[in-house]
Amino acid sequence: MEPLTIGILIGIATIVILATGIPVAFGLGLVAIAFLAIFEGTGSLGFVAETFYSGLAEFTLVSIPMFIVMGAAVASSPAGKDLYEALDRWLNRVPGGLVISNLGACSIFAALSGSSPATCAAIGKMGIPEMRQRGFPDGLATGSIAAGGTLGILIPPSITMIVYGIATETSIGRLFLAGLLPGLLLTVLFMIWALYTAHRHGYSLTDMARQVTWGERLRILPRVLPFLAIIVGILYVLYGGVATPSEAAGVGAMFCLVLVAVIYRMWKPRHMWNIISDSMRESVMILMIIGASALFSYTLSYLFVTQSVAEAIAVLEVNRWVLMGIINVFLLVAGFFLPPVAVILMTTPILLPIITQAGFDPYWFAVILTINMEIGLITPPVGLNLYVINGIVPDVKLTTILMGALPFMLCMVLAIVILCLFPGIATWLPEVLMGPG
Amino acid sequence: MNRFIDAVAALSRLCGVIAAALIASAIVVVCQMVVMRYFLVASTVWQTEYVIFALVGATLIGSPYVLLLKGHVNVDLLPMFLPHGARVVLALFACLGGLAFSLVLGWTGYELFHEALVNGWRTETVWALPLWIPYLALPIGVGLLVLQYVADIIALLTGRDMPFAMEKHSAFEGE
Repeated sequence: MEPLTIGILIGIATIVILATGIPVAFGLGLVAIAFLAIFEGTGSLGFVAETFYSGLAEFTLVSIPMFIVMGAAVASSPAGKDLYEALDRWLNRVPGGLVISNLGACSIFAALSGSSPATCAAIGKMGIPEMRQRGFPDGLATGSIAAGGTLGILIPPSITMIVYGIATETSIGRLFLAGLLPGLLLTVLFMIWALYTAHRHGYSLTDMARQVTWGERLRILPRVLPFLAIIVGILYVLYGGVATPSEAAGVGAMFCLVLVAVIYRMWKPRHMWNIISDSMRESVMILMIIGASALFSYTLSYLFVTQSVAEAIAVLEVNRWVLMGIINVFLLVAGFFLPPVAVILMTTPILLPIITQAGFDPYWFAVILTINMEIGLITPPVGLNLYVINGIVPDVKLTTILMGALPFMLCMVLAIVILCLFPGIATWLPEVLMGPG
Repeated sequence: MNRFIDAVAALSRLCGVIAAALIASAIVVVCQMVVMRYFLVASTVWQTEYVIFALVGATLIGSPYVLLLKGHVNVDLLPMFLPHGARVVLALFACLGGLAFSLVLGWTGYELFHEALVNGWRTETVWALPLWIPYLALPIGVGLLVLQYVADIIALLTGRDMPFAMEKHSAFEGE
């Protein structure tokens, strides 16, 4: 059978198997071993455990559980609340300060936790009731947090970017830098839209500000600045070439654990244990998908699927922007159903050669891909953020949240267009700080 | 049957504790390594390997526990729209698929561990750790994963567990 036909069969089989509701990790593994056994005989299964194991036994992967611990430590503490408070107090004079501080808090918390649902939960718990109380429409209050939460996978440090770096063998430091300005761009786009909507609904943005004294402003800083220092420290260490992402993440995790123990007095073994065991569950889930994906891409390349697809597309000689458009639609649809990590691991072995052949920058593409995944987080059927917010304010209908999130989704599409027109937004910073790639 | 399901669940929980402890130890070792390398400018021998093996071990050994908690992410769009009866059938298919994969991974994993033990394989570093130690996570973790799947299937068949942990008449959220 032609490798291309096998590729199509694998694609169909993957969709069918995953639709049964089997865990993504085991579904991918099952498809991989089934196709190996059918086309190469059961003898080829001897490498299954070795491929799975060696797919996981990489030092770079160590950064994933470490960043998860870091995020879990911050998320389990009232740090999100304080961050929100701090921005609210400092930005109360800015027109529309509340929306701005909510979105700002989302982007900072996103950087700390690297997780979109955690960001939504932490900032949303405080921010949404506050916004509703001060008269913002439900759709805007919930939609802005749902969208703001998705920044978690774009703004560094980002687990999604680490996974991309591992799957494509690109520099994780560069990827983080590439995501920074686009992350800020998205934050600003979100803010503009939020302000515009609030204004359109006739909310006088300055009247809503409350009086805050400088004492109140300064008093909250000691609880917030150490966490900001950790983010800055991690980025500095990575770009200074001082340490590897895994080392930076490990030390960051330790610092965050110590900080929540000291600042929030969560030093009891029970607190620490909860943080570690929550992190364990999430990292086991992600790393199992990574191991299974190693098996999946091993099968794809063993059966020459990866190479054939890339060749077949090269032969088509379509316009590179048409190609990019098709890839975007494909990623968007995949993101509707699958978690970002799974999409990246399944598609990048096939997509990356196509992308680089067409002359696109792999770091720029990482940003485009991540924004696509962000959209998937706030669209049904598996838009995780929507459900997190639904859990925070059960009296707001899911459709209201969805409609509120829709304009922010369009902001993300706009950001993709802007990035296509000005790829420098993603590639400039890494080039300036780390030299040409 | 209930006793079997409970026993497997207890074992899985124990595995969860081991996995969490491995992750905690990895954090400590990474920090120790950073201190050694950057502040004391000493060379590190075993830390990198230990951290890698601890985390792969945590993943494999933690896997049955995460399965017990239904914590492995899945696409539950189709089951959400199905009536209860069809859901049970679909859940059985999903479990059997997972079981099949776990059996292959577990069996080849055991062979890998066995070969490493019999041939005395060691890592190619100064530390020269016998490879059967990290590979032991494969038969233990995936072996228990198989048992957890069998327990899940029995729980489904006897009606002790709801398929996909969904309420019997749960409507699609937002309705």
